[in-house]
Amino acid sequence: MSFLNIDSVKERTFDAIVVGSGISGGWAAKELTGKGLRTLVLERGRDVKHVTDYPTTMMQPWEFAHLGQMPKAITDANPIASRCYAFREDAAHFFVKDAEHPYVQDKPFDWIRGYQVGGKSLMWARGTQRWSDYDFDGPARDGFAVDWPIRYADIAPWYSYVERFAGISGNKDGLPQLPDGEFLPPHEMACVEKHFSEQMAKHYNNTRPVIIGRCAHLTKPQPIHLQQGRGQCQNRSLCQRGCPYGGYFSSNSSTLPWAAKTGKMTLRTDSVVHSIIFDEKKNKATGVRVIDAHTKETKDYYAKIIFVNAACLNSNLILLNSKSTRFPNGLGNDNGLLGKYVAFHNFRTTISAEHEGFTDSITEGIRPNSSYIPRFRNVFKQETDFLRGYAAGFGANRVMNVDTAGMGESLKTSLMETKYGNWRVGSHMMGETIPKETNYVTLDPALTDAWGIPQLRISVAYDDNDEKMIKDFHEQMTEMLTVAGFMNIQTHDKPDKAPGLDIHEMGGVRMGKDPKTSLLNKWNQFHTCKNVFVTDGACMTSTSTQNPSLTFMAITARAADHAVKEMKKGNL
Amino acid sequence: MQRRSAIKQVAVAFGGLMSLPAWASNWTPESIGSVSFLPVSDEDLLGELVETIIPETNTPGAKSLKVHQFAMRMIQDCYGEPAQTALKQGLVLVDQTAQQAYTKAFTACDTPQRLEVLTQMANASDPAAKQFVEMIKNLTIQGYRNSEYFMVNQLKYNMAPGFYHGCVSVIK
Repeated sequence: MSFLNIDSVKERTFDAIVVGSGISGGWAAKELTGKGLRTLVLERGRDVKHVTDYPTTMMQPWEFAHLGQMPKAITDANPIASRCYAFREDAAHFFVKDAEHPYVQDKPFDWIRGYQVGGKSLMWARGTQRWSDYDFDGPARDGFAVDWPIRYADIAPWYSYVERFAGISGNKDGLPQLPDGEFLPPHEMACVEKHFSEQMAKHYNNTRPVIIGRCAHLTKPQPIHLQQGRGQCQNRSLCQRGCPYGGYFSSNSSTLPWAAKTGKMTLRTDSVVHSIIFDEKKNKATGVRVIDAHTKETKDYYAKIIFVNAACLNSNLILLNSKSTRFPNGLGNDNGLLGKYVAFHNFRTTISAEHEGFTDSITEGIRPNSSYIPRFRNVFKQETDFLRGYAAGFGANRVMNVDTAGMGESLKTSLMETKYGNWRVGSHMMGETIPKETNYVTLDPALTDAWGIPQLRISVAYDDNDEKMIKDFHEQMTEMLTVAGFMNIQTHDKPDKAPGLDIHEMGGVRMGKDPKTSLLNKWNQFHTCKNVFVTDGACMTSTSTQNPSLTFMAITARAADHAVKEMKKGNL
Repeated sequence: MQRRSAIKQVAVAFGGLMSLPAWASNWTPESIGSVSFLPVSDEDLLGELVETIIPETNTPGAKSLKVHQFAMRMIQDCYGEPAQTALKQGLVLVDQTAQQAYTKAFTACDTPQRLEVLTQMANASDPAAKQFVEMIKNLTIQGYRNSEYFMVNQLKYNMAPGFYHGCVSVIK
C-alpha cells in the first residue's frame, strides 16, 4: 500500500504549479515550461479549446435570436454580470453567472469574472499601453501607497519580450508618459480623430497628444505568430466571442498551446484551488490544495515553486485562505496588509460631441481599437488639487441617419436611403485610483461557496480624489472639444456605476521594498515565503492610468525567469 | 450559406489547416426557432401588421423576412410582462379599430385601410393604442434592418475579411 501512496504523491508532484490560466497564468505556463519545468496549470473552470470551443464566433448578426440582446430572465437572474458591456448573446457563455459564485458586497462592487481556460483573456478589450516611470515613480513622488520596488528600466526589456510574442499594434509616438513598444503596424485614425489630434497639438503646444491606441492585434503577423498558429486580424471586432484566426492575443490561442507543445504542461480544468500548503519544517510552500469542481473531492498537488495567477481578487482570496500555524492570517501576511490597498480604474464617466464639418468624408470598415489620449494631468509636476491623472479613449465615426417617419412604402423607401449625419465623437475616462488601506477584501467568517471556500467580502469605493478627477475630466475635455470646433458637448456621469465594472482591479498583495509595508519583493516573491510568486493584478503597488494587462504579462515573464534561475541555484 | 463561405474564408486564411468545428455543420437558419406564445390567428395578424409597416414591393417585406416572429420573440423573452400584455391587448384593439372604421377584420382590409387603422391608433388619445403601434413599429424596423436580406443586400454586410479606412470620400 505504501508504494501505491508514494506513486500517487509522485503523480501529483511537479516542478511548478500555476494557479489560473488567464492572461498572466498563460504567460507563467509558457515561461516555466519553456525553461524545462514540468508544470501543472490549474483552472477552476472548464476547458475552452482555441476555435472549437468558440460556439458563436462565426455567427452572423441575424442568427442571434434576439440580435444580441439578453433575455430578461437572464438579466434578472444576473444583475452583476449583466452590467458588463460584453455580457451579450454572443459572449455571455464566457462570463460567471451571479448565483453560481456568490460574494459579499460590503460596498457595491461589480465583480466581473471569466471562469474557464483562458479566463478573461478571451473577452478582454485588448488595450496594451506600456506604463512609464511617471507611473512606477508615482507613489514615491506623490506620497501614496508605498514605493514600487521596480522602475520602468527593470520592466522595459520584458515589455519588449512579451510584445514581440503577443503581437501589439501601435504607432511610435515618442511620448515620455507612454513609452513606445515593439509594434506591429498601427490601426488608422479616422479623419476627425486626426483633426482633433492636430488641434490639440496646436492649442496645447504638443502637451496633450491624441494617438491611436495600442492593442493586442496581429495587424501584420510575424513568423513568431504564424508559428503559434495565429493569423492576420480580420477587423471583425467580434473578439469577445473568441477569435478563430487568433487575430488578437488570448491565452487560448497563444501562450497555452505554446506551453503544451513543450510536452511539459499538465492542464487540469475544473480544479478549484482552496489554498497554498505551507510546510512549517521546510519553511516554504510545498503545494496547492485543490477541490474538484464537480465531485468536490479534495486533492493536494506538490511543487517546488508556485505561481498564483487566479486574477486579482481571487488570488487575494486563495492567499487569505492559506492559513497555517506560521501564517494564521493568510500566506505571508505577517504585517496584516494582505487584501488591503485594492485599487482600480475609474471608468465612471464619458463625454460626447458632434462636428458639423468633414461632411465629404466617412469611415469604412471596422476597427477593433480606438484612439487614445494619454495622461496629461500632473505628469511632470503636480498641477491640480487631486493626485495623479487620467487617460481617455477617444473615437469618431459618422452615423447614418435613418428616417423612420411614416409607415408603408414611404417608410420602406426611407429605410433604404443612406443619409449621413454629423460626425460624432465619444471619449471615456480611465482614471487612476489611489490604493488605500480602507479599500480591502476579507474572507467572510461564515458564508462559503459551493466548494466550502469562504466567500470574499469586498469593500472598495470611490473617494474625493476620484470625484475631483471626474470634474476635471469634464472641464478639460469640454475645453479641448470646444477649441477643436465641436458642438453639442455632453458629459455623462453615472454616479451609480460601482467600481469593478472597469475590470481593472489591482492590489491586495502589493510589491514593495520593505516586508513591513508590502507582501512581495521586486521579483514578485513573498518576502516571507520565497517559493510563492504572485504576478497577476494582485501584485500591483499602484494602478497607473494605462490598461494593466500588458504589465501583468511582462511582470510574469520577468518573475518566471527569476524563479527558474533561483531554483537552479538551489535557493527555492 | 453565408456562414459556410465565411468558414471557407477562415480556412483559406490558414492555408486550409483549420478543421471545421462540429457546430459549424449543424447550423441552419431555422435553428433559432420561433416563439409561439400567441394563438396562430394572432401570429398571422402580427404578420399582417409588420407587413403593413414595411410591405413587399419589388423587394421582400417584413412578413416574408419573418420580422413578426422576431418581434414576438423579443416581446416574449426580453421585454417583460407589461409588454406581453400590451401585445395581446393591442392585437385585439387593431381588430376593434378596423371593425369600427370599416366593419371588417384588419386582415380583410385593403392596404390603404390597414395603413389608416394603424395611423389612427398611432394618433389615438388612448395611450395603449399609441404605445402598441410604437412598439410594433420599432421592432419591425429593428428586425427588418437587421435581417439577413437587408444586411447583405442593402448594407453590404460582410463579417470577414474586414478592413478599416479612416477617411473615405462620400460617394455622391
